[in-house]
Amino acid sequence: MTADETGLRELRASVREFLEAKSPEEAVRKLMESEPRYDPAVWAQAADQLRLPGLVIPEEYGGDGFGLVELGVVLEEMGRALLCAPFFATVVLAAQALLASGDREACARHLPGIAAGRTTAALAVAEDSGSWDPALISARAVPDGEGAWRLTGRKSFVIDGTTADLLLVVARTVAGPSLFAVDRDASGLSAGPMETLDATRAMARLTFDAVPATLVGADGAAGRTMAKVLDVASVGLAAEQSGGARRCLEASAEHARTRHQFGRPIGSFQAVKHKCADMLVQVELAEAASREAARLADEGSAEFPVAAAVAHACCSRAYMFAAMENIQVHGGIGFTWEHPAHLYFRRAKSSQLLFGGPAVYLERLLDRLGI
Amino acid sequence: MADDMQDFAAEARAFLDAHAPKAPDRTAPSWGEGDDSMAYFSSLPPEAEREHVQRARDWQRVRHEHGFGWITGPVEYGGRGLTPVHDLLYDAVESEYDVAHTGVLSVIGLGMIGPTILAHAQPHIKERWLPAMYRGDAIACQLFSEPGAGSDLASVATRAVREGDHWVLNGQKVWTSVAQHSQIGLALTRTNPDAPKHRGITAFLVPMDAPGVEVRPLRQMTGGADFNEVFLTDVRIPDDHRLGEVDGGWTVALTTLMNERATVGSEGVGPVAAALSPDHLSALMRATWTWDDRALRARLAELLVDALATRHLNTRALRMLRAGGTPGPEMSVSKLMYGQNLTRAAHFVSDVLGPRIIADTGQWGTYAWSELLLATPALRILGGTEEIMKNILAERVLGLPKEVRS
Ligand SMILES: Cc1cc2nc3c(=O)[nH]c(=O)nc-3n(C[C@H](O)[C@H](O)[C@H](O)COP(=O)(O)OP(=O)(O)OC[C@H]3O[C@@H](n4cnc5c(N)ncnc54)[C@H](O)[C@@H]3O)c2cc1C
Repeated sequence: MTADETGLRELRASVREFLEAKSPEEAVRKLMESEPRYDPAVWAQAADQLRLPGLVIPEEYGGDGFGLVELGVVLEEMGRALLCAPFFATVVLAAQALLASGDREACARHLPGIAAGRTTAALAVAEDSGSWDPALISARAVPDGEGAWRLTGRKSFVIDGTTADLLLVVARTVAGPSLFAVDRDASGLSAGPMETLDATRAMARLTFDAVPATLVGADGAAGRTMAKVLDVASVGLAAEQSGGARRCLEASAEHARTRHQFGRPIGSFQAVKHKCADMLVQVELAEAASREAARLADEGSAEFPVAAAVAHACCSRAYMFAAMENIQVHGGIGFTWEHPAHLYFRRAKSSQLLFGGPAVYLERLLDRLGI
Repeated sequence: MADDMQDFAAEARAFLDAHAPKAPDRTAPSWGEGDDSMAYFSSLPPEAEREHVQRARDWQRVRHEHGFGWITGPVEYGGRGLTPVHDLLYDAVESEYDVAHTGVLSVIGLGMIGPTILAHAQPHIKERWLPAMYRGDAIACQLFSEPGAGSDLASVATRAVREGDHWVLNGQKVWTSVAQHSQIGLALTRTNPDAPKHRGITAFLVPMDAPGVEVRPLRQMTGGADFNEVFLTDVRIPDDHRLGEVDGGWTVALTTLMNERATVGSEGVGPVAAALSPDHLSALMRATWTWDDRALRARLAELLVDALATRHLNTRALRMLRAGGTPGPEMSVSKLMYGQNLTRAAHFVSDVLGPRIIADTGQWGTYAWSELLLATPALRILGGTEEIMKNILAERVLGLPKEVRS
């Protein structure tokens, strides 16, 4: 299903209104210091009132079957508001991994709960190096002789890893990297929060000690699955980043219009004016890159993988740039804990490096271009 | 694509099939074959230059005869009465064919001056010049800049004084592209020295063969001479050649400048397209054994991120047009990025080539890049400098306070 322009505007308006009410700055600040790092009541409302967790889950699995364009609108708004919620981990990472695995049985088992907002999920790929390259995975899974598997090893940087009901884990078998489902309550699993640069995004370290696990998709197929997930997830992340970057730009422009020094608004000084214009250029490019990538995905275009890589790189850079310049335009107040600028700075840096960082995503772009 | 669009594209294709060969695919790896020119500005000797201009006129005439010369123009002046989207669609189809370059006519004359004449001239002036321009008979130039009025265009000092039903123009214009080939020019003149700067300007259409118009080529840093000084000495212009109100020329200028941004911001075609082509750039790296240099690869990727994101920006603007809306700041951003992208590409390539861009070894596709390298500074100046574009974005889009102006 695809919404038209009016539909998209309405979706944006209702998500923004919801977030303004449920995720104002005070709420974000409170949640980022609490455990769990989200408000289950707000999450339930997002599911019941706005049906957000099911937005892009196919109708056959209980979702509304929308595409990345609609998902992008929602993520842009969440990025603006720095919403603390298990949305990214559950919907953008875990659910997409289930769908990309092609395992209809696993989808039928897990997706309806996710779509309804009852199940939260996480995707555990990276280990201590932070790399998302399946070839670098050392966690191992061995058959337990009864059709199930036992999983051993360690995962890091797992978003919402301490709270997710369902864990999808990439581990190595004899056949290669493979995807497994693990229950939160499984024996031998322990999870601890990691201290994070961006406190609005909870991350965990997971330890598996012969944990019972179910294979998702074909044995040895996680390399391909992860490539697909990464394309979708980086476009989702790009939307979140462009929303955050747009927010930084707006804050800077507002400040530049109202703050006076030397008897003039600082925005009348060209050094400041040009900073804001440079931010605008970056934000416009970022929005175009992430929205076009989403559109190409929904059209099933062969250009999508390249566009996804462009969006990832472009939005990572734009957000970091906007977050830095936002502090500069604000001057001293921008460097205080009280001011929200640092929250965006932290999110921008953390997002930029989430899937490996510039060296990795620039090479991925060349790879997708066949270079 | 809507049905009528498909029909239109098919019609364009049929026309082009009948009149032009297919273009070799410049983006496909074709290292070492064909023309390796990377010239943005022409630097042809005069005789070759005249031939080039003639080919452009000839192709424009053929286009016009078949209904593709002025796709968005009103039917009464020989246009087709279709939308900007049809126009862009035609450009896309035409880019697959090997046709004469018509930049000398289209960038300034048809892209900027034509729409201004259409919006502001008297009917008989429109009848006199518009069909001629779009048929390829008349080339037009933009006589705006002066030695003392570049970014600050409202400072023009060329005087126009009324004498009965004529005006007498005196002054000097500068950096006037294609003036040496032009039959008409759109000039901004000062008609009221006592009014505030913007309010005392009047716009005239100047026949370039009028007595007192003297065009002197200016050699530019690429070596060629695309632009000129134009001296106006007691040039008599009938009042009906005035565009817009007396002292109301600023409004006329804004029409031109708005179209300028759209024209200059659109993606480069022709030889220069190779500068932002992933395949061409990677072929260059292979040919120079710099293929696996990690630092260069990262820079290549960064460059392509900007080039491809800029293309997405243009696609979005097009989508907006197609939906009947007006694009937002996309065109200005696009104009800025286009200059920067080509500049970065040229410097990236010069790092790949090393000394091969400073002296000609005879190797295909290497020293040729020096042509683009030398053209890039102009791309950050012409059509409004980067600094001026940023002022416009900040003030008009972000609502920041205006600069203090005298
Ligand atoms: C290849 C080429 C072709 C051209 N073709 C034409 C043509 O056909 N017709 C025509 O009329 N003109 C033409 N021009 C002229 C062009 O429009 C001007 O060069 C341009 O607008 C800049 O004006 P200027 O050269 O006087 O530089 P200046 O205005 O003197 O600017 C010099 C520097 O000061 C900066 N500056 C000036 N004012 C400000 C400000 N307010 N804020 C911040 N920085 C500022 C500029 O950005 C620039 O960096 C052409 C120029 C080139 C290079």
